[in-house]
Amino acid sequence: MINSVLAAVSGRQIVAAGVLLAVIAALILAGFILYRVVVRKREKAEQTVVDKIKTREELEAHNAKYISSGNFAGFDDALESKREQAIRERLAEEEKDLPPDEDALLEVRHLKMYFPLKKTVGGKVTLALRAVDDVSFKLKAGETLGIVGESGCGKTTMGRSVLKLYQPTGGQIFFEGKDIAGYKPKAMRPLRTQMQIIFQDPYSSLPPRSTVGGILSEPVKVHKIVPKAETKDYVMKIMEQCGLRDYYYERYPHEFSGGQRQRICIARALSVKPKLVICDEPVSALDVSIQAQIINLLKKLQEELGLTYLFISHDLSVVKHISDKIGVMYLGSMVEFGDKKAIFSHPMHPYTQALFSAVPNPNPDVKMDRIVLKGDIPSPADPPKGCKFNTRCPHAMEICKHIAPKYKEYEPGHFVACHCYSQED
Amino acid sequence: MSEVKTPKVESKGKKNRNYLTGKEIRAIVRSNNKITRALEKKKRRKAKEEEFLSALKDDRNILEVEDLHTYFFTEQGVVKAVNGVSFEVPQGSTVGVVGESGCGKSVTSMSIMQLLQGPTGQIYSGEIRFKSYDFKLDEKKRPIPVWETDEAGNPVFDEKKDKKGRAVLDKEGKPVLVQRQKRDEYGTLQYEMEEKVFNIAEMPIREMYRLRGRQIAMIFQEPMTSLNPVFTIGNQLDEVTLLHFPGSSKADAKRRSIEMLNLVGIAMPERVYKSYPHELSGGMRQRVMISMALAGNPRLIIADEPTTALDVTIQAQILDLLRDLKKRINGSILLITHDLGIIAEMADFVVVMYAGRIIEKGTASEIFHHPMHPYTIGLQKSKPTMDSEKDTLFNIPGNVPNPIDMPNYCYFRERCSRCTKACFGDYPPMTQVSPTHWVACHLYDEKKEEEK
Repeated sequence: MINSVLAAVSGRQIVAAGVLLAVIAALILAGFILYRVVVRKREKAEQTVVDKIKTREELEAHNAKYISSGNFAGFDDALESKREQAIRERLAEEEKDLPPDEDALLEVRHLKMYFPLKKTVGGKVTLALRAVDDVSFKLKAGETLGIVGESGCGKTTMGRSVLKLYQPTGGQIFFEGKDIAGYKPKAMRPLRTQMQIIFQDPYSSLPPRSTVGGILSEPVKVHKIVPKAETKDYVMKIMEQCGLRDYYYERYPHEFSGGQRQRICIARALSVKPKLVICDEPVSALDVSIQAQIINLLKKLQEELGLTYLFISHDLSVVKHISDKIGVMYLGSMVEFGDKKAIFSHPMHPYTQALFSAVPNPNPDVKMDRIVLKGDIPSPADPPKGCKFNTRCPHAMEICKHIAPKYKEYEPGHFVACHCYSQED
Repeated sequence: MSEVKTPKVESKGKKNRNYLTGKEIRAIVRSNNKITRALEKKKRRKAKEEEFLSALKDDRNILEVEDLHTYFFTEQGVVKAVNGVSFEVPQGSTVGVVGESGCGKSVTSMSIMQLLQGPTGQIYSGEIRFKSYDFKLDEKKRPIPVWETDEAGNPVFDEKKDKKGRAVLDKEGKPVLVQRQKRDEYGTLQYEMEEKVFNIAEMPIREMYRLRGRQIAMIFQEPMTSLNPVFTIGNQLDEVTLLHFPGSSKADAKRRSIEMLNLVGIAMPERVYKSYPHELSGGMRQRVMISMALAGNPRLIIADEPTTALDVTIQAQILDLLRDLKKRINGSILLITHDLGIIAEMADFVVVMYAGRIIEKGTASEIFHHPMHPYTIGLQKSKPTMDSEKDTLFNIPGNVPNPIDMPNYCYFRERCSRCTKACFGDYPPMTQVSPTHWVACHLYDEKKEEEK
C-alpha cells in the first residue's frame, strides 16, 4: 500500500510536502512565542499597576473616594484583590523577623495552605484552592483553642498544616519559639513527640491488625520515651489514665465500640508525652452519651498533664464547653477570634451570630429567632471578591462586595474582620 | 408467635468464650433458615386485599405501630433490633424518634417501608397500620379518572391529537373527541381517591409498591449515596411522577418535577433539573431528596436523620423547610434523629428508644421538662448546651449492650444511677404517667403500687 503510494508521487512532491510541514510548524512556534511575549508583557504591566500602591494606607487613600461616596461604579475588583494580596504578602514578609511571643506555646503567623488546581507546563500555579488563607493566632500553654466553622472552611487543613502533615505554602509556625514552617520531615521527627493529633473517625484511624498493646507501645518504642523493659508498665499506666481496662492490652480494635476506640486513639496520642494535642473533631462520630464521656476525659487529662489543645469541631456546644478561646473560620480565613466569654456573650461577626443561632436548642418552648443563612459556602477556589462572606451575609453593604475588611482587634483579644464595625485605626 | 431463641450447643473441652464454634454457628444458621424461609414465602405470596386490610384504633392517627418485633437472623444469633415497639403518628403532626446508634430507630422506619434486607432482616410479628389514601380502582383494576367539568357541570371534550400535534380524524372526517381529565395545581392528572387502612406487616412486597413513594416517602441520611450518580436529577425526579401518576406524559412529569424543585427552595430549578448529583452541594442534594419525597404527594414522610451529614447552617435551612412543607402538604412527619435539639425544635411527640425498646414516650414538653426515665434524664444532661455553664458534663457510664440474646431485665440496669432491687426482675412494663406520657421503668410502677 505504502509502496504503491510512494511510487505514485515523485521525489519533488515529497520535498514540497516536507517544506510545507516545516513552515506550518515554524508558524505555530512563532505564534506561541508571540503569544507568550504578549502575555508576559500584559502581566508585567499589570504588576506595575499593582505595585503602584505599596502600603495599606496608600490603598485606603486610593479607595477613599469610593468608600466615602458608597458608589462603587467603575471599581476594579480584580485589581483590588490583587493589591490586597500583594500588601498582605509584603506585610507577612515584614513581620517575618519579629521575635515570637514568649508566652505562647504555639504561634501561627499568616499561615497559608494552597492546593494547586491548575499548573502551566513550567510548573507555575495558575489556579489554587486557598484552603487556609492568611490565618494568625497565638495559643498559650495549658489553654484550649476551639476552631469552629462549616465543612470546607479549612479548619482541618489548618490543624494538619500546624502539625506539618502538609507543607504550608507560606507563613510561620512558632512552636516553643522555633519556626517549624520550613522544617524538613526529618527535622520534624523529634518534634513529633511534642505535638500529636486525635483524628475524627476512630473506626479508620486504628490499624486492624495490631493489638491495643501494640498500637500503644509502638510510638513509645520508636521515640524511646521509656527504657525498653518498662514499656509495658508505662503503656498500662497510660491505658488506666484514659479509662481502658488492663485486659484490653491483648485485644484488637474491632472488638471495641466507637467510644472505646476513641479512648485508644487518645491514649496513643498521649503515649509520647506531647505538649500540644490537635483534636480534629474527636467526638463527631460518637453517640451523645459517649460524647460526654470523651469530653470529660479530655478535660481531666488536660488538668492532670497540663496539655494544650487545638480543638477543631463543627459542634458549637461542644466547643463552648471545652475551649478557653475560640476562632471562627469561614472560607479559609479567621473571621472572629477571642475569649470564649467575649465571643459567646456578644458575637460580633454576622457569620458567628448566624452560626450560634443555627444550633438547635433542646427546649421545645423556646422558639429562637433564627438567622438562616441563604445558600451554601462558596468554592474556595474562587472566593467572592471583597469580604468572603458578602454573598450570604444578612447585613451585606455595597462596600463588602468590593473591599476586604481588616482583621482588627476591637476589644483586648477580640479580633473581628467585618465592615459593620469601624475599620479606622 | 412464639419466642425466638438462639440455639445453645454444648461443647466439650476448653473454649474461647469470645467466639462461636463452627458447630454452634451451623446450629444457629439451621434454626434461622427455618424461620426466615417461612417469612420470605409470606412476603412473596399473592394475597387478596382483604388479607391485609385493617382498622385504626383511633381515626385521628395516620400510622399506628403496635408491638412490632423486627429481628435480624444473623450467624451469631438473633438480633432483636426492634423488640415490642408501639407508637402512633397522629395526622398532621411530627413524631420524633430519638436514641443512640444501634437502638433500632432506623430499623423501625425500615420496617414501616418494608425495606429490610432479607432474608436476614424480617418483621417477625406485630402490626403496622397505615391509613392510605389511594386511587379508587374499577373492576379491571384501573384507576378511575376525575373528569373536568365546565361551570354548568357538563363534561369537557378535547380534540385528540397525534404526536405531531395534528388532529386525529375518524372515518367520516370528523375530529375524534376525548374527555378532558382534571389536573391539579402542578398539572398532574387527577383520579378518584379512597381511604383504606392497611396492615403493612402483613402486606406482600408487590403490594408495597402502592405505598412506597406515593403514600409514604422517605428522606435518607446520606444524600450522596441515595441519589443515582449516573442519572440527572430530572431523570430521577420524573420517574416518581411517571410511576405514581398513571397516564402522565413526560412533559407533565417535567413540569411537576420543576414545581417540586421550586417548592423546596432551589433557586434555578431548570438548571438543577439538568444537572447530575455530583454537581450539587450537600444541602442542595438533600433538598432534591426532599423534593423527590414530595413528588409522590405522600401523606407520611419518614425523615431518617435528614440533617446528620449537613452543617449547622444548612441544617437550619433544611429544618425550616421541613416545617414549612408539613404545613403546606398537610402531611405527617416521622423524624428519626439522635440530636435532642432537633427533636425539641421539630417534634410534637417524642419517642425515646433504647436497645430496641421504647423506654419513654410523650409530648415534646413532657419529655423535655419532665423526663422520667433515667436514660432520658441522662441523655439530656450529657449534651452540652449553649447556655449552660457547667464544668464537667454528666455522663452515662458504659456502652449500649450487645444486642444478641438480650436477657429479660431492664437493659439500662448496668448504666443506671438509680437502679433498685426491682430492676433485677423482669423487664419493666410501660407505665402511664399522664394521658400522653408513658415510661418503662421500675421506679414509677413501684410508686403507683404504693399509692394504691
